[in-house]
Amino acid sequence: MAKRDIPEINAGSMADIAFLLLIFFLVTTTMDKDTAYLRKIPKLIENPPKPPDIQERDILAIQANRQDKLMVRGDMLDPDDISDKILEFYRTNENAPGVYVDNKFPLYSMADLSYYLAQFDGVEKELSALNAQGATEMAAIKENVLNELQKKIDVIKLYNKYKPGGIPEISYQANLRIETQQLTSYELFTKIHSEIEEALYELKNEKSKELFGVSYDVIAQKSATDLEDRESRERMDLLEVLYPARIIEVKPR
Amino acid sequence: MSKFRKDSGKKLPGVNTSSLPDIVFMLLFFFMVATTSKETDPTVALTPPAGKRTTDLTPYKQRSEVDFLYLGKPRNIARADDFKMGYALSLDNVVQATPDGLYTTNAIGRWKVDKFNEKKSRLTVPIEGVITLIKSDKEAPTGLIFDVRDELQKVDALSIAYSVMEKGNK
Repeated sequence: MAKRDIPEINAGSMADIAFLLLIFFLVTTTMDKDTAYLRKIPKLIENPPKPPDIQERDILAIQANRQDKLMVRGDMLDPDDISDKILEFYRTNENAPGVYVDNKFPLYSMADLSYYLAQFDGVEKELSALNAQGATEMAAIKENVLNELQKKIDVIKLYNKYKPGGIPEISYQANLRIETQQLTSYELFTKIHSEIEEALYELKNEKSKELFGVSYDVIAQKSATDLEDRESRERMDLLEVLYPARIIEVKPR
Repeated sequence: MSKFRKDSGKKLPGVNTSSLPDIVFMLLFFFMVATTSKETDPTVALTPPAGKRTTDLTPYKQRSEVDFLYLGKPRNIARADDFKMGYALSLDNVVQATPDGLYTTNAIGRWKVDKFNEKKSRLTVPIEGVITLIKSDKEAPTGLIFDVRDELQKVDALSIAYSVMEKGNK
């Protein structure tokens, strides 16, 4: 028998098949993003020690009741005005470290580099002494402290590039406290978080423009997308230290 | 001698469609790559609240560091009375009662730990870093949210996120 050519496969329907798949993916694709407010739950401690006394001025209590009425520091308030209160909380004493412009708001102190460097040396010595004794548990704790101090030193060094001298630090006890009741709606609860984010954004944005000359959006975008960009991430850290968000969510009774 | 003679009888040449599959495939691959398959529809009904300055969880989702927890009204209205304050949880499409401290089964804790153990080898973070995204109805009482928080705290799942729809200028 004579050799015959193998007939070519008809590829005319390929496009149809591809179209079918395409339409399937078009329909099933959801482009919506999941957006949320990220928070941390404090670690569970079996026998919690007695909580330290906190000055009235260091607390910004945001209270919401079961009728979804809102109170900030004892004043009834519209939910849209919470961010103004938070800005006031952070800004009142900010430009006069060590002095009360108004003693109803948290005090700022000046932290300078030499102080933290001395602290760092001290802890380092303690750590090597502990390691020599073989007290590993204590050494691990000290190591954490050391890391924290190192971070602080890095931040201050970065700050000094733009502004000489010390770095203003808000009182370490200053906190935003969200107190709700059982029947407060989730909507109002997230509204409070929204307002907190709004206020922090405004604070950071302004500081960012003052120090680096760029808006906070630009830095945040860069640090999120470009993993190589260390500068932007350090700037983010600095802004975080300047305006720490210590949010306490109180469990309703 | 006419130069412009009518091509009587000659047909227009057909458009070459041999590259059509290529184009379609290109589109197809784009959508295949861009697709993030939707988390299954929850078995509870909810309308999310809106808020500003939210965090986009897409990078966490790509690393599968997010677990979804829904809190809403049960779709079967007849069962609404079976649940505390009329709200039920949906964990991986299984309707659960919200924890109430009386005869609690700690379903959330077990669910979270099971999910974590399942994907442990692929993760780089401990259980404290795996976010639990709470998607809740805007009318839901906060008391229930805090009940869930307590359950998560017991199993050391300390990252939590409150889901909202981003609104306005981003």
